[in-house]
Amino acid sequence: MTSPGGHRTEAAPALEALLPALVGWLPQQRWFAAKDRTVDAVRLVGHSEVTSADAVPAVTHAVISVGFTDDGPEETFQLLLGSRPEMPGDLDHSVIGTAAGRTVYDGLADGEITRLLLSLIVSDTTVGPLRFVPEPETEAPIVGPGRPLLGEQSNSSVIYGERAILKLFRRATPGLNPDLELHRALGREHSVEVAPLLGAIEGELPDGEGGSTPMTVAMLQDYASNSADGWSMALTSVRDLLAEGDLRPDEVGGDFAGEATRLGRTVGSVHQELARALGTARLDAAGVRGVADWMLARLELSAQAVPEVAERREAITAVLEGVTAADGLVVHRIHGDLHLGQELRTPRGWLVIDFEGEPSRSLADRVRPDSPLRDVAAMLRSFDYAAFHQLAEWEPGAESPSYLKRRAQEWADRNRSAFCDGYAEITGADPRADLAVLRAYELDKAVYEVLYETRNRPNWLAIPLRSMERLIDRS
Amino acid sequence: MNEGIGTGTAGAPDTSTTGTVTAPREPPTPEGVVEPSSRDFRSARELPVDDGWYKRAVFYEVLVRAFADSNRDGFGDLPGLTDKLDYLAWLGVDCLWLPPFYDSPLRDGGYDIRDYRKVLGEFGTVEDFVEFVDQAHARGMRVITDLVMNHTSDQHQWFQESRRDPDGPYGDFYVWSDDDTRWSEARIIFVDTESSNWTYDSVRGQFYWHRFFSHQPDLNFDNPAVCEAMIDALRFWLDLGIDGFRLDAVPYLYERDGTNGENLPETHSFLRRVRKVVDDEYPGRVLLAEANQWPADVVEYFGDAEVGGDECHMAFHFPLMPRIFMAVRRESRFPISEILAQTPEIPENAQWGIFLRNHDELTLEMVTDDERDYMYAEYAKDPRMKANIGIRRRLAPLLDNDRNQLELFTALLLSLPGSPVLYYGDEIGMGDNIWLGDRDGVRSPMQWTPDRNAGFSTCDPGRLNLPIVMDPVYGYQAVNVEAQSNSSASLLHWNRRMIEIRKQHTAFGLGDFHELGGSNSSVLAYVREFVDEEGTRDVVLCVNNMSRFPQPVELDLIAWKGWVPTELTGGVPFPPIGELPYLLTLPGHGFYWFSIHASQERS
Repeated sequence: MTSPGGHRTEAAPALEALLPALVGWLPQQRWFAAKDRTVDAVRLVGHSEVTSADAVPAVTHAVISVGFTDDGPEETFQLLLGSRPEMPGDLDHSVIGTAAGRTVYDGLADGEITRLLLSLIVSDTTVGPLRFVPEPETEAPIVGPGRPLLGEQSNSSVIYGERAILKLFRRATPGLNPDLELHRALGREHSVEVAPLLGAIEGELPDGEGGSTPMTVAMLQDYASNSADGWSMALTSVRDLLAEGDLRPDEVGGDFAGEATRLGRTVGSVHQELARALGTARLDAAGVRGVADWMLARLELSAQAVPEVAERREAITAVLEGVTAADGLVVHRIHGDLHLGQELRTPRGWLVIDFEGEPSRSLADRVRPDSPLRDVAAMLRSFDYAAFHQLAEWEPGAESPSYLKRRAQEWADRNRSAFCDGYAEITGADPRADLAVLRAYELDKAVYEVLYETRNRPNWLAIPLRSMERLIDRS
Repeated sequence: MNEGIGTGTAGAPDTSTTGTVTAPREPPTPEGVVEPSSRDFRSARELPVDDGWYKRAVFYEVLVRAFADSNRDGFGDLPGLTDKLDYLAWLGVDCLWLPPFYDSPLRDGGYDIRDYRKVLGEFGTVEDFVEFVDQAHARGMRVITDLVMNHTSDQHQWFQESRRDPDGPYGDFYVWSDDDTRWSEARIIFVDTESSNWTYDSVRGQFYWHRFFSHQPDLNFDNPAVCEAMIDALRFWLDLGIDGFRLDAVPYLYERDGTNGENLPETHSFLRRVRKVVDDEYPGRVLLAEANQWPADVVEYFGDAEVGGDECHMAFHFPLMPRIFMAVRRESRFPISEILAQTPEIPENAQWGIFLRNHDELTLEMVTDDERDYMYAEYAKDPRMKANIGIRRRLAPLLDNDRNQLELFTALLLSLPGSPVLYYGDEIGMGDNIWLGDRDGVRSPMQWTPDRNAGFSTCDPGRLNLPIVMDPVYGYQAVNVEAQSNSSASLLHWNRRMIEIRKQHTAFGLGDFHELGGSNSSVLAYVREFVDEEGTRDVVLCVNNMSRFPQPVELDLIAWKGWVPTELTGGVPFPPIGELPYLLTLPGHGFYWFSIHASQERS
């Protein structure tokens, strides 16, 4: 296929006309990650045509930069825009504005466009700077129109006939997206713990100085159509327990420990596969010192914003220093943002999803090898959250009866322990064997959560605060 | 036409019985034992041949011994059962399944057959059986019976001859050996009572092979005469008019070195031979395999999918049942989703038989050790509730007599892929008696009325074969057919209504099964869809809440965009399906059945 257009960074008159409309449209999108800031202006960073400009529908890939009234840093996003001279009625909800006499809309809503995207991947096509690549040695899905997955948070996905899912990364970040990178690596290991990668769309991110760096536009994966996430399943179990009162977690029908053990096995397997695929290293004392310093820096950020953390700075520091207790630390690529919501239960077992890492960290931070105990600690934190979230939701603000708190703690303890059992069964390494290190990672995460909840969800603040105190007391 | 019997009863459907009765044939009886011929008896009227009836049918397992006693001897019998056929027809049952009613010393509930061509004395005679089948057919109901091919009672004449005369015509009818070391890879099934699969016989001075109890020697199917004799036993009953067999313990027919003696190729080849006899000589009759194995192994018993299946027409789906219990206790659909995802496609003409409870214990062979411990802890709190590797309880007590759960379980049974098999008494929520030995706790007499002996028998109560359940919750004065018949809100009426609804939609019996998923793991939602030869689509949506708490669920029904779901018990149309996920809310342990149809087609 010949390229109908290379990457253009010069002003595109048609798209320039659309930019004012984007100022109003962006904050209405679920994936728009800066809802707490007021959009000031939208700037076109670059664009390339996927079809000719007069095609019906025409498709354009655009990278935009968003400025805010707070004069803080700009955010960069990518869009797949469709345009038509006349709109079929069922696309009305996706309209953004008009430009050059055509209506411009969110292209992912248009079945003809999503069909085109899939066919370009399946046929291994390059269009200008955009490379549509199928994953080698995978069975291509049948090309057809896709439909948008609703209810998603930070990215936008399209489902193809319950077989495949195309995820458009909304934030435009330079470099290979770790989600794509790690799925590729795990695919080479024939992992059954992740949804197999089927292909990707890769592009170029203009650097504003006439050059560009590679970026990941989208990735195509197997779609686990019949699945439920671990977070909602865990909450089901907690609800079942709290409704009893007189029964303990191992006595109620909704016991989650079996699933927690299977989850532990799944995460353990993913770690082994990541280690095999991308190698391991051993941090020496200086390297471990670096990890500790990184944690202490994060503590400082939190302490500045949250008095409860500042008051406990010394005690927290003592626990975080525990990471240096080990005379070295084996590190490899990890998931980086593991929690119950990143795990899907399917009829064939658990899948781990979303290997992008903690969204607030830089790419360099996210791809840095780290101890697998960071992921384990994050899961243990997630069990705590699940146990106490239900109490917080029930009567926001009210103090729960102490026996319910006790039940919730028992649930967390039982499932944390079951998770570690499953993990140890697969890896041969019980995470609880390095208790000081594990606790340091867990407290690091809790301190970060305290900051996050203070800023975003004050109702939930009690959950990480409580854990923070427990982790300090136990050490 | 068999004049003189089977004149039918008032209100019975007009079954266009043909006058043709397959000519009974001379049994090629081996010399030494004289066996009766079907020619010695009349045959029941036949129902019209209807290929595939078993895929749409609602089955009902009834124990002759426990249903109705006509002669005041304390045992239920065939004439008693015949008297109750109107009730079963009213309930909506399509096919009755009778566990063994053959002559037997009854050391294994009749599965120890002493004579394949004789009815157990307490139950009546072969003539009574023919009359029963005839009357069932007159009401449009079919009858299948258990046949145990793997073994006989040690009191069977064949065995007596075999041990007495090793060189006689029956000398090679059983599996004899000079020592007890062969085939040690074969597991012992009744671990509670048996220590070996070999038992020494002092008469013959050899060991004989038995996969079940030591009083049930295995027949030697490597002997062609055994195969012939077994097929002739089948012909005997088919000639008399029955509609098929449930083949008991079918995986164990052959033994081979270095194997566990289950599912061997020789077993399948014999089943193909039996199937050919049925297809050629008795079209429309069915074979139902009892093979307590994983679905991936059981599908082998349907035979070659290329020809639509050439072994058994049906097989029980064993692992599904404990998974239903587990899913509800866990408030998660995944125990069910998992086992259905592991269930392979079956041949065109094959069908699963599914059940919640039957005369055996709630079998836990097909779950992991962890899951079994869990099931014991949840459903068998008293050690007496356990038997072998299972739980001996009836449905209602297993569910604490919770009407919501009873309805949810039954709705699952009637809507999951397969033909449902009801167990007698569960339609009124009968209880069990865990103080009775072995599996008798779930085999107590049917509770018909609040009168003496629950209306089961007019004998002296002390003469009853098994005592009537008398506890305050499940006793016959609280739970009986008469009282529930008179209350339209009863479980009995509810069950009848659900069976009726099931029959109005071919999708339940013949449709594809497609699980919908959904983000709420407590909700199991699936679509059954059948497209008939004219292209008419029958689409049924079933949504089940496994949790005791109310739940919302968003379902992806985009494939039926613009169509309208109509709830099946009340006929209320729900909002049409649009672009967005379809939101439903369910009460605790609630379920919905919807018919989905294009809106202009609304009837």
